[in-house]
Amino acid sequence: MSDPLLSVRDLRKSFGEEEVLRGIDFEMERRDVQVLMGPSGSGKSTLLRCVNRLSEPDDGTITLDGEDTAAMDENDLRRQVGMVFQGFNLFAHLTARKNVSLGLRRVRGFSKSETEERAEEELERVGLADQADSYPAELSGGQQQRVGIARALAMDPKLLLFDEPTSALDPELIGEVLSVMGELADDGMTMLVVTHEMGFAREAATDLLFLDDGTILERGPPTQLFESPEHERTATFLRRLTDLEAGQHG
Amino acid sequence: MIPAIPFVPSTPFVSLVPLGALADWGFVLGNADYLVGGLAITIALTVASILLGFAAGFPAGLIEVYGGHYSEAFVASLGVFFRGTPIVVIIIVMFFVVGISPAFLAATFALGLRSAAYQSQIFRGAIESVSGGQMEAARAVGLSRLQAIRHVIVPQALRRSIPGFQNEFTIVLKDTSIAFAIGLAELLTRSYDLFVQRTTAVLEIVLFISLLYFLLTFSTNRVLDALRERFVIPGGEG
Ligand SMILES: Nc1ncnc2c1ncn2[C@@H]1O[C@H](COP(=O)(O)OP(=O)(O)O)[C@@H](O)[C@H]1O
Ligand SMILES: [Mg+2]
Repeated sequence: MSDPLLSVRDLRKSFGEEEVLRGIDFEMERRDVQVLMGPSGSGKSTLLRCVNRLSEPDDGTITLDGEDTAAMDENDLRRQVGMVFQGFNLFAHLTARKNVSLGLRRVRGFSKSETEERAEEELERVGLADQADSYPAELSGGQQQRVGIARALAMDPKLLLFDEPTSALDPELIGEVLSVMGELADDGMTMLVVTHEMGFAREAATDLLFLDDGTILERGPPTQLFESPEHERTATFLRRLTDLEAGQHG
Repeated sequence: MIPAIPFVPSTPFVSLVPLGALADWGFVLGNADYLVGGLAITIALTVASILLGFAAGFPAGLIEVYGGHYSEAFVASLGVFFRGTPIVVIIIVMFFVVGISPAFLAATFALGLRSAAYQSQIFRGAIESVSGGQMEAARAVGLSRLQAIRHVIVPQALRRSIPGFQNEFTIVLKDTSIAFAIGLAELLTRSYDLFVQRTTAVLEIVLFISLLYFLLTFSTNRVLDALRERFVIPGGEG
Protein backbone atom coordinates (compact mmCIF):
# COMPACT_ATOMS: atom_id res chain seq x y z
CA MET A 1 0.00 0.00 0.00
CA SER A 2 3.00 2.29 0.05
CA ASP A 3 2.87 2.38 -3.75
CA PRO A 4 1.99 5.81 -5.07
CA LEU A 5 -1.39 5.98 -6.81
CA LEU A 6 0.13 7.48 -9.92
CA SER A 7 3.70 7.38 -11.02
CA VAL A 8 5.03 9.03 -14.15
CA ARG A 9 8.56 8.18 -15.24
CA ASP A 10 10.49 9.86 -18.03
CA LEU A 11 7.33 10.58 -20.01
CA ARG A 12 8.03 11.83 -23.53
CA LYS A 13 5.67 12.91 -26.27
CA SER A 14 6.29 14.59 -29.61
CA PHE A 15 4.01 15.93 -32.27
CA GLY A 16 5.94 15.73 -35.51
CA GLU A 17 9.29 17.40 -34.97
CA GLU A 18 8.24 19.15 -31.79
CA GLU A 19 9.00 17.35 -28.55
CA VAL A 20 6.26 18.62 -26.27
CA LEU A 21 7.01 16.54 -23.18
CA ARG A 22 10.72 16.06 -22.60
CA GLY A 23 11.00 13.64 -19.74
CA ILE A 24 8.35 14.20 -17.08
CA ASP A 25 8.75 12.60 -13.66
CA PHE A 26 6.36 12.87 -10.75
CA GLU A 27 4.26 10.83 -8.37
CA MET A 28 0.93 11.24 -6.69
CA GLU A 29 -0.12 9.68 -3.42
CA ARG A 30 -3.74 8.91 -2.69
CA ARG A 31 -5.65 12.05 -1.63
CA ASP A 32 -3.03 14.29 -3.20
CA VAL A 33 -4.17 17.39 -5.00
CA GLN A 34 -1.44 18.44 -7.36
CA VAL A 35 -1.78 21.64 -9.29
CA LEU A 36 0.01 21.99 -12.59
CA MET A 37 0.84 25.47 -13.83
CA GLY A 38 2.84 26.69 -16.75
CA PRO A 39 2.79 28.93 -19.79
CA SER A 40 0.40 28.23 -22.63
CA GLY A 41 1.82 25.58 -24.94
CA SER A 42 4.12 24.15 -22.27
CA GLY A 43 2.44 20.73 -22.54
CA LYS A 44 0.00 20.70 -19.60
CA SER A 45 -2.93 19.31 -21.57
CA THR A 46 -0.70 16.82 -23.33
CA LEU A 47 0.54 15.58 -19.97
CA LEU A 48 -3.01 15.00 -18.68
CA ARG A 49 -4.02 13.33 -21.91
CA CYS A 50 -1.10 10.94 -21.68
CA VAL A 51 -2.27 9.87 -18.24
CA ASN A 52 -5.65 8.63 -19.54
CA ARG A 53 -4.17 7.75 -22.94
CA LEU A 54 -6.29 10.12 -24.98
CA SER A 55 -2.77 10.71 -26.30
CA GLU A 56 -0.40 7.78 -26.47
CA PRO A 57 2.97 8.51 -24.84
CA ASP A 58 6.02 7.98 -27.04
CA ASP A 59 8.24 6.90 -24.20
CA GLY A 60 8.31 6.48 -20.45
CA THR A 61 6.18 4.60 -17.96
CA ILE A 62 2.96 5.57 -16.26
CA THR A 63 1.58 3.34 -13.55
CA LEU A 64 -1.78 3.64 -11.86
CA ASP A 65 -2.15 1.81 -8.58
CA GLY A 66 0.89 -0.27 -9.47
CA GLU A 67 -0.40 -1.20 -12.92
CA ASP A 68 1.38 -0.16 -16.11
CA THR A 69 -1.22 1.92 -17.94
CA ALA A 70 0.27 1.04 -21.33
CA ALA A 71 -0.68 -2.58 -20.69
CA MET A 72 -4.20 -1.81 -19.52
CA ASP A 73 -7.31 -1.86 -21.62
CA GLU A 74 -7.74 1.82 -22.49
CA ASN A 75 -11.44 1.86 -21.67
CA ASP A 76 -10.76 0.30 -18.32
CA LEU A 77 -8.02 2.84 -17.63
CA ARG A 78 -10.35 5.71 -18.49
CA ARG A 79 -13.06 4.32 -16.27
CA GLN A 80 -10.56 4.67 -13.42
CA VAL A 81 -9.22 8.09 -14.40
CA GLY A 82 -11.89 10.75 -14.80
CA MET A 83 -11.38 13.89 -16.86
CA VAL A 84 -12.95 17.33 -16.67
CA PHE A 85 -12.50 19.54 -19.72
CA GLN A 86 -11.95 23.22 -20.20
CA GLY A 87 -14.84 23.36 -22.69
CA PHE A 88 -17.09 21.09 -20.52
CA ASN A 89 -17.84 18.81 -23.50
CA LEU A 90 -21.18 17.70 -22.12
CA PHE A 91 -23.11 15.41 -24.45
CA ALA A 92 -25.22 18.08 -26.12
CA HIS A 93 -28.23 15.88 -26.87
CA LEU A 94 -28.60 14.55 -23.34
CA THR A 95 -30.02 16.05 -20.15
CA ALA A 96 -27.73 16.55 -17.17
CA ARG A 97 -29.08 13.30 -15.72
CA LYS A 98 -28.40 11.37 -18.93
CA ASN A 99 -24.94 12.85 -19.20
CA VAL A 100 -24.13 11.30 -15.86
CA SER A 101 -26.06 8.09 -16.62
CA LEU A 102 -24.46 7.14 -19.91
CA GLY A 103 -21.22 5.84 -18.44
CA LEU A 104 -23.02 4.17 -15.55
CA ARG A 105 -25.17 2.20 -17.95
CA ARG A 106 -22.75 1.49 -20.76
CA VAL A 107 -19.39 1.32 -19.06
CA ARG A 108 -20.19 0.15 -15.56
CA GLY A 109 -23.21 -1.93 -16.56
CA PHE A 110 -25.50 -0.57 -13.86
CA SER A 111 -29.18 -1.48 -13.99
CA LYS A 112 -31.71 1.22 -14.81
CA SER A 113 -32.67 1.78 -11.19
CA GLU A 114 -29.08 1.74 -9.92
CA THR A 115 -28.19 4.23 -12.64
CA GLU A 116 -31.09 6.48 -11.76
CA GLU A 117 -30.14 6.49 -8.11
CA ARG A 118 -26.43 7.04 -8.65
CA ALA A 119 -26.94 9.84 -11.20
CA GLU A 120 -29.23 11.58 -8.75
CA GLU A 121 -26.59 11.32 -6.02
CA GLU A 122 -23.83 12.72 -8.18
CA LEU A 123 -25.91 15.66 -9.33
CA GLU A 124 -26.81 16.35 -5.74
CA ARG A 125 -23.14 16.25 -4.82
CA VAL A 126 -22.43 19.11 -7.24
CA GLY A 127 -25.58 20.95 -6.18
CA LEU A 128 -27.57 20.39 -9.35
CA ALA A 129 -30.27 17.90 -8.39
CA ASP A 130 -32.90 20.46 -9.39
CA GLN A 131 -31.41 20.81 -12.89
CA ALA A 132 -31.30 17.09 -13.67
CA ASP A 133 -33.66 17.37 -16.61
CA SER A 134 -32.05 20.41 -18.20
CA TYR A 135 -30.04 20.13 -21.38
CA PRO A 136 -26.50 21.50 -21.47
CA ALA A 137 -27.45 24.50 -23.57
CA GLU A 138 -30.02 25.45 -20.95
CA LEU A 139 -27.39 25.60 -18.21
CA SER A 140 -24.86 28.29 -17.33
CA GLY A 141 -21.19 27.52 -17.90
CA GLY A 142 -20.65 26.97 -14.21
CA GLN A 143 -23.55 24.53 -14.04
CA GLN A 144 -22.33 22.73 -17.13
CA GLN A 145 -18.91 22.26 -15.60
CA ARG A 146 -20.44 20.91 -12.41
CA VAL A 147 -22.37 18.37 -14.49
CA GLY A 148 -19.04 17.54 -16.15
CA ILE A 149 -17.59 16.86 -12.70
CA ALA A 150 -20.62 14.74 -11.71
CA ARG A 151 -20.25 12.75 -14.93
CA ALA A 152 -16.63 12.00 -14.06
CA LEU A 153 -17.40 11.20 -10.42
CA ALA A 154 -20.08 8.69 -11.37
CA MET A 155 -17.40 6.34 -12.64
CA ASP A 156 -15.83 6.11 -9.17
CA PRO A 157 -12.45 7.18 -10.49
CA LYS A 158 -9.26 6.66 -8.53
CA LEU A 159 -7.91 9.86 -9.99
CA LEU A 160 -9.55 12.93 -11.47
CA LEU A 161 -7.86 15.07 -14.11
CA PHE A 162 -8.95 18.68 -14.54
CA ASP A 163 -7.78 20.59 -17.61
CA GLU A 164 -8.30 24.29 -16.90
CA PRO A 165 -11.83 23.66 -15.61
CA THR A 166 -12.60 27.33 -15.04
CA SER A 167 -10.76 29.09 -17.88
CA ALA A 168 -13.82 29.16 -20.12
CA LEU A 169 -16.05 30.61 -17.42
CA ASP A 170 -17.17 34.15 -16.73
CA PRO A 171 -15.46 35.35 -13.54
CA GLU A 172 -18.68 35.28 -11.51
CA LEU A 173 -19.18 31.57 -12.30
CA ILE A 174 -15.69 30.40 -11.36
CA GLY A 175 -16.39 30.28 -7.64
CA GLU A 176 -19.13 27.65 -7.78
CA VAL A 177 -16.88 25.26 -9.70
CA LEU A 178 -13.86 25.86 -7.46
CA SER A 179 -15.94 25.27 -4.36
CA VAL A 180 -17.15 21.90 -5.70
CA MET A 181 -13.52 21.03 -6.44
CA GLY A 182 -12.51 22.14 -2.95
CA GLU A 183 -15.13 19.82 -1.44
CA LEU A 184 -13.85 16.93 -3.50
CA ALA A 185 -10.34 17.63 -2.26
CA ASP A 186 -11.61 17.69 1.33
CA ASP A 187 -13.39 14.37 0.71
CA GLY A 188 -10.04 12.85 -0.20
CA MET A 189 -10.32 12.65 -3.97
CA THR A 190 -6.96 12.39 -5.72
CA MET A 191 -6.80 15.23 -8.22
CA LEU A 192 -4.37 16.44 -10.85
CA VAL A 193 -5.47 19.94 -11.74
CA VAL A 194 -4.25 22.27 -14.45
CA THR A 195 -5.37 25.70 -13.34
CA HIS A 196 -4.10 29.21 -12.90
CA GLU A 197 -6.40 29.91 -9.99
CA MET A 198 -3.91 30.87 -7.28
CA GLY A 199 -6.54 30.83 -4.55
CA PHE A 200 -7.44 27.23 -5.28
CA ALA A 201 -3.77 26.25 -5.43
CA ARG A 202 -3.05 27.91 -2.08
CA GLU A 203 -5.99 26.35 -0.31
CA ALA A 204 -6.31 22.91 -1.85
CA ALA A 205 -2.99 21.90 -3.39
CA THR A 206 -0.64 19.53 -1.64
CA ASP A 207 1.91 20.30 -4.35
CA LEU A 208 2.37 22.74 -7.11
CA LEU A 209 4.21 21.70 -10.26
CA PHE A 210 5.58 24.32 -12.61
CA LEU A 211 5.81 22.98 -16.14
CA ASP A 212 8.01 24.86 -18.55
CA ASP A 213 9.17 23.88 -21.98
CA GLY A 214 8.19 20.22 -21.61
CA THR A 215 9.78 19.56 -18.24
CA ILE A 216 8.79 20.09 -14.63
CA LEU A 217 11.05 22.96 -13.79
CA GLU A 218 10.08 23.27 -10.18
CA ARG A 219 7.78 21.66 -7.63
CA GLY A 220 6.86 22.01 -4.00
CA PRO A 221 4.16 23.11 -1.59
CA PRO A 222 2.29 26.09 -3.06
CA THR A 223 3.43 28.56 -0.42
CA GLN A 224 7.04 27.70 -1.12
CA LEU A 225 6.69 28.24 -4.85
CA PHE A 226 4.68 31.40 -4.43
CA GLU A 227 6.98 32.93 -1.81
CA SER A 228 10.44 31.66 -2.60
CA PRO A 229 10.71 30.02 -5.99
CA GLU A 230 14.13 28.68 -6.94
CA HIS A 231 13.98 29.54 -10.61
CA GLU A 232 13.70 32.94 -12.13
CA ARG A 233 11.21 31.62 -14.73
CA THR A 234 8.89 30.31 -12.02
CA ALA A 235 9.09 33.60 -10.17
CA THR A 236 8.32 35.63 -13.29
CA PHE A 237 5.40 33.43 -14.27
CA LEU A 238 3.82 33.43 -10.82
CA ARG A 239 4.39 37.15 -10.35
CA ARG A 240 2.57 37.79 -13.61
CA LEU A 241 -0.32 35.59 -12.42
CA THR A 242 -0.49 37.43 -9.12
CA ASP A 243 -0.60 40.76 -10.90
CA LEU A 244 -3.34 39.50 -13.21
CA GLU A 245 -5.45 38.33 -10.29
CA ALA A 246 -4.90 41.53 -8.40
CA GLY A 247 -6.02 43.39 -11.51
CA GLN A 248 -9.15 41.26 -11.82
CA HIS A 249 -10.26 41.31 -8.25
CA GLY A 250 -9.04 44.74 -7.27
CA MET B 1 -35.36 38.93 -99.76
CA ILE B 2 -36.74 36.46 -97.30
CA PRO B 3 -40.48 36.86 -96.99
CA ALA B 4 -41.82 37.46 -93.51
CA ILE B 5 -43.33 34.34 -92.04
CA PRO B 6 -46.90 35.03 -91.03
CA PHE B 7 -47.74 34.19 -87.40
CA VAL B 8 -50.08 31.24 -87.29
CA PRO B 9 -51.22 30.23 -83.84
CA SER B 10 -51.05 26.49 -83.32
CA THR B 11 -53.94 24.59 -81.78
CA PRO B 12 -52.32 23.94 -78.35
CA PHE B 13 -51.85 27.69 -78.03
CA VAL B 14 -55.59 28.12 -77.86
CA SER B 15 -55.86 25.55 -75.11
CA LEU B 16 -53.39 27.53 -72.97
CA VAL B 17 -56.41 29.29 -71.53
CA PRO B 18 -57.51 26.50 -69.23
CA LEU B 19 -60.80 27.93 -68.12
CA GLY B 20 -61.85 28.27 -71.69
CA ALA B 21 -61.42 24.54 -72.17
CA LEU B 22 -63.69 22.91 -69.67
CA ALA B 23 -63.82 19.79 -71.75
CA ASP B 24 -60.09 19.32 -71.20
CA TRP B 25 -60.56 19.52 -67.44
CA GLY B 26 -63.31 16.96 -67.80
CA PHE B 27 -60.81 14.72 -69.60
CA VAL B 28 -58.26 15.12 -66.76
CA LEU B 29 -60.75 14.42 -64.04
CA GLY B 30 -62.18 11.50 -65.97
CA ASN B 31 -58.68 10.01 -65.90
CA ALA B 32 -57.93 11.06 -62.35
CA ASP B 33 -57.95 7.48 -61.07
CA TYR B 34 -55.40 6.54 -63.73
CA LEU B 35 -53.17 9.43 -62.61
CA VAL B 36 -53.66 8.69 -58.92
CA GLY B 37 -52.64 5.10 -59.65
CA GLY B 38 -49.43 6.55 -61.11
CA LEU B 39 -49.08 8.67 -58.01
CA ALA B 40 -49.23 5.55 -55.85
CA ILE B 41 -46.34 4.06 -57.85
CA THR B 42 -44.42 7.32 -57.54
CA ILE B 43 -44.88 7.31 -53.77
CA ALA B 44 -43.93 3.65 -53.44
CA LEU B 45 -40.84 4.18 -55.60
CA THR B 46 -39.81 7.26 -53.63
CA VAL B 47 -40.23 5.56 -50.28
CA ALA B 48 -38.42 2.39 -51.37
CA SER B 49 -35.55 4.41 -52.89
CA ILE B 50 -35.18 6.68 -49.86
CA LEU B 51 -35.15 3.69 -47.53
CA LEU B 52 -32.55 1.86 -49.62
CA GLY B 53 -30.62 5.11 -49.83
CA PHE B 54 -30.68 5.43 -46.06
CA ALA B 55 -29.81 1.79 -45.43
CA ALA B 56 -26.74 2.10 -47.67
CA GLY B 57 -25.95 5.80 -47.31
CA PHE B 58 -25.92 6.02 -43.54
CA PRO B 59 -23.28 3.31 -43.01
CA ALA B 60 -21.39 4.73 -45.99
CA GLY B 61 -21.26 8.13 -44.28
CA LEU B 62 -20.00 6.51 -41.08
CA ILE B 63 -17.33 4.60 -43.00
CA GLU B 64 -16.21 7.76 -44.76
CA VAL B 65 -15.57 9.37 -41.38
CA TYR B 66 -14.50 6.49 -39.16
CA GLY B 67 -13.58 3.71 -41.56
CA GLY B 68 -10.14 2.35 -42.27
CA HIS B 69 -8.19 3.43 -45.29
CA TYR B 70 -9.47 0.77 -47.72
CA SER B 71 -13.12 0.72 -46.72
CA GLU B 72 -13.15 4.50 -46.87
CA ALA B 73 -11.58 4.58 -50.33
CA PHE B 74 -14.00 1.91 -51.56
CA VAL B 75 -17.07 3.72 -50.29
CA ALA B 76 -15.82 7.08 -51.52
CA SER B 77 -15.26 5.82 -55.06
CA LEU B 78 -18.69 4.18 -55.19
CA GLY B 79 -20.08 7.53 -54.14
CA VAL B 80 -18.19 9.38 -56.83
CA PHE B 81 -19.46 6.89 -59.41
CA PHE B 82 -23.12 7.14 -58.42
CA ARG B 83 -23.08 10.90 -58.06
CA GLY B 84 -21.21 11.40 -61.30
CA THR B 85 -23.32 9.21 -63.57
CA PRO B 86 -26.57 10.57 -65.04
CA ILE B 87 -29.56 8.90 -63.43
CA VAL B 88 -30.98 7.86 -66.83
CA VAL B 89 -27.82 5.90 -67.50
CA ILE B 90 -27.95 4.24 -64.08
CA ILE B 91 -31.55 3.21 -64.46
CA ILE B 92 -31.04 1.84 -67.98
CA VAL B 93 -28.00 -0.11 -66.86
CA MET B 94 -29.89 -1.58 -63.90
CA PHE B 95 -32.77 -2.70 -66.08
CA PHE B 96 -31.20 -3.67 -69.40
CA VAL B 97 -27.62 -4.52 -68.49
CA VAL B 98 -27.75 -5.86 -64.94
CA GLY B 99 -31.16 -7.24 -65.80
CA ILE B 100 -32.99 -6.45 -62.58
CA SER B 101 -36.70 -6.97 -62.98
CA PRO B 102 -39.48 -6.02 -62.61
CA ALA B 103 -38.93 -2.43 -63.66
CA PHE B 104 -40.02 -1.19 -60.22
CA LEU B 105 -37.13 -3.03 -58.60
CA ALA B 106 -34.63 -1.80 -61.17
CA ALA B 107 -35.83 1.77 -60.61
CA THR B 108 -35.59 1.32 -56.84
CA PHE B 109 -31.98 0.16 -57.12
CA ALA B 110 -31.04 2.97 -59.47
CA LEU B 111 -32.68 5.74 -57.46
CA GLY B 112 -31.83 4.14 -54.13
CA LEU B 113 -28.12 3.69 -54.78
CA ARG B 114 -27.81 7.12 -56.30
CA SER B 115 -29.60 8.55 -53.26
CA ALA B 116 -27.29 6.54 -50.99
CA ALA B 117 -24.37 8.31 -52.62
CA TYR B 118 -25.90 11.68 -51.77
CA GLN B 119 -27.20 10.67 -48.37
CA SER B 120 -23.74 9.46 -47.39
CA GLN B 121 -22.52 13.02 -47.94
CA ILE B 122 -25.34 14.45 -45.86
CA PHE B 123 -24.45 12.11 -43.00
CA ARG B 124 -20.72 12.57 -43.40
CA GLY B 125 -21.15 16.34 -43.12
CA ALA B 126 -23.45 15.96 -40.12
CA ILE B 127 -21.04 13.62 -38.34
CA GLU B 128 -18.10 15.91 -39.01
CA SER B 129 -20.05 18.87 -37.67
CA VAL B 130 -20.34 17.23 -34.24
CA SER B 131 -17.43 18.69 -32.31
CA GLY B 132 -14.40 16.56 -31.57
CA GLY B 133 -14.90 17.27 -27.88
CA GLN B 134 -17.96 15.01 -27.90
CA MET B 135 -16.00 11.96 -28.98
CA GLU B 136 -13.22 12.85 -26.59
CA ALA B 137 -15.55 13.21 -23.61
CA ALA B 138 -17.24 9.92 -24.44
CA ARG B 139 -13.90 8.11 -24.67
CA ALA B 140 -12.72 9.78 -21.45
CA VAL B 141 -15.65 8.23 -19.58
CA GLY B 142 -14.54 4.82 -20.82
CA LEU B 143 -16.93 4.24 -23.70
CA SER B 144 -15.43 2.31 -26.60
CA ARG B 145 -15.17 4.01 -29.95
CA LEU B 146 -18.18 2.12 -31.23
CA GLN B 147 -20.24 2.97 -28.15
CA ALA B 148 -19.26 6.61 -28.48
CA ILE B 149 -20.35 6.64 -32.11
CA ARG B 150 -23.59 4.87 -31.31
CA HIS B 151 -24.63 6.81 -28.19
CA VAL B 152 -23.06 10.22 -28.64
CA ILE B 153 -22.17 10.99 -32.25
CA VAL B 154 -24.97 9.33 -34.23
CA PRO B 155 -27.90 10.77 -32.26
CA GLN B 156 -26.53 14.28 -32.77
CA ALA B 157 -25.58 13.70 -36.40
CA LEU B 158 -29.02 12.32 -37.29
CA ARG B 159 -30.67 15.45 -35.91
CA ARG B 160 -28.38 17.63 -37.94
CA SER B 161 -29.01 15.70 -41.14
CA ILE B 162 -32.77 16.26 -41.24
CA PRO B 163 -32.62 19.45 -43.35
CA GLY B 164 -30.35 17.80 -45.92
CA PHE B 165 -32.57 14.79 -45.85
CA GLN B 166 -35.63 16.93 -46.63
CA ASN B 167 -33.85 18.21 -49.67
CA GLU B 168 -32.84 14.74 -50.77
CA PHE B 169 -36.39 13.49 -50.40
CA THR B 170 -37.70 16.14 -52.77
CA ILE B 171 -34.99 15.36 -55.30
CA VAL B 172 -35.71 11.62 -55.26
CA LEU B 173 -39.43 12.25 -55.54
CA LYS B 174 -38.97 14.33 -58.64
CA ASP B 175 -36.43 11.97 -60.14
CA THR B 176 -38.82 9.01 -59.96
CA SER B 177 -40.12 10.32 -63.27
CA ILE B 178 -36.93 8.97 -64.85
CA ALA B 179 -38.46 5.48 -64.48
CA PHE B 180 -40.21 6.49 -67.67
CA ALA B 181 -37.04 5.36 -69.45
CA ILE B 182 -37.74 1.73 -68.57
CA GLY B 183 -41.49 1.95 -69.02
CA LEU B 184 -42.53 2.04 -65.39
CA ALA B 185 -45.97 3.64 -65.34
CA GLU B 186 -45.49 6.15 -62.56
CA LEU B 187 -47.21 9.51 -62.42
CA LEU B 188 -45.31 11.35 -65.14
CA THR B 189 -45.35 8.40 -67.54
CA ARG B 190 -49.09 8.15 -67.19
CA SER B 191 -49.65 11.85 -67.69
CA TYR B 192 -47.55 11.59 -70.85
CA ASP B 193 -49.85 8.78 -72.03
CA LEU B 194 -52.78 11.07 -71.50
CA PHE B 195 -51.56 14.13 -73.27
CA VAL B 196 -50.48 12.09 -76.25
CA GLN B 197 -54.10 11.02 -76.46
CA ARG B 198 -55.39 14.54 -76.15
CA THR B 199 -52.92 17.23 -77.03
CA THR B 200 -55.26 20.08 -76.12
CA ALA B 201 -55.21 18.97 -72.46
CA VAL B 202 -51.43 19.32 -71.94
CA LEU B 203 -51.64 22.30 -69.61
CA GLU B 204 -54.51 20.86 -67.59
CA ILE B 205 -52.69 17.60 -67.09
CA VAL B 206 -49.46 19.34 -66.15
CA LEU B 207 -51.26 21.56 -63.66
CA PHE B 208 -53.01 18.57 -62.16
CA ILE B 209 -49.92 16.44 -61.67
CA SER B 210 -47.96 19.46 -60.43
CA LEU B 211 -50.60 19.81 -57.77
CA LEU B 212 -50.16 16.17 -56.85
CA TYR B 213 -46.35 16.54 -56.66
CA PHE B 214 -46.74 19.70 -54.65
CA LEU B 215 -49.11 18.11 -52.14
CA LEU B 216 -46.73 15.22 -51.76
CA THR B 217 -43.62 17.34 -51.26
CA PHE B 218 -45.42 19.76 -49.02
CA SER B 219 -46.91 17.18 -46.70
CA THR B 220 -43.70 15.17 -46.45
CA ASN B 221 -41.70 18.26 -45.64
CA ARG B 222 -44.17 19.18 -42.92
CA VAL B 223 -43.78 15.69 -41.46
CA LEU B 224 -39.99 16.07 -41.51
CA ASP B 225 -40.29 19.55 -39.97
CA ALA B 226 -42.36 18.05 -37.18
CA LEU B 227 -39.76 15.33 -36.73
CA ARG B 228 -37.01 17.90 -36.46
CA GLU B 229 -38.96 19.91 -33.92
CA ARG B 230 -39.75 16.79 -31.96
CA PHE B 231 -36.05 16.00 -31.65
CA VAL B 232 -34.66 19.50 -31.36
CA ILE B 233 -32.25 19.83 -28.44
CA PRO B 234 -33.68 22.34 -25.95
CA GLY B 235 -31.63 25.51 -25.78
CA GLY B 236 -29.24 24.14 -28.40
CA GLU B 237 -28.28 25.41 -31.80
CA GLY B 238 -28.54 22.12 -33.62
N1 LIG C 1 -2.83 16.84 -31.35
C1 LIG C 1 -1.77 17.67 -31.53
N2 LIG C 1 -1.13 17.72 -32.71
C2 LIG C 1 -0.07 18.52 -32.91
N3 LIG C 1 0.41 19.34 -31.98
C3 LIG C 1 -0.17 19.36 -30.77
C4 LIG C 1 -1.30 18.53 -30.49
N4 LIG C 1 -1.67 18.76 -29.21
C5 LIG C 1 -0.82 19.68 -28.73
N5 LIG C 1 0.07 20.05 -29.66
C6 LIG C 1 1.16 21.01 -29.46
O1 LIG C 1 1.83 20.67 -28.29
C7 LIG C 1 2.19 21.83 -27.55
C8 LIG C 1 1.66 21.73 -26.15
O2 LIG C 1 0.27 21.78 -26.19
P1 LIG C 1 -0.63 21.64 -24.89
O3 LIG C 1 -0.31 20.37 -24.20
O4 LIG C 1 -2.03 21.82 -25.32
O5 LIG C 1 -0.13 22.85 -24.02
P2 LIG C 1 -0.86 23.59 -22.82
O6 LIG C 1 -2.04 22.78 -22.40
O7 LIG C 1 0.19 23.70 -21.77
O8 LIG C 1 -1.24 24.94 -23.32
C9 LIG C 1 1.67 23.01 -28.34
O9 LIG C 1 2.73 23.56 -29.09
C10 LIG C 1 0.64 22.41 -29.23
O10 LIG C 1 0.57 23.13 -30.43
MG1 LIG D 1 -4.10 23.20 -22.38
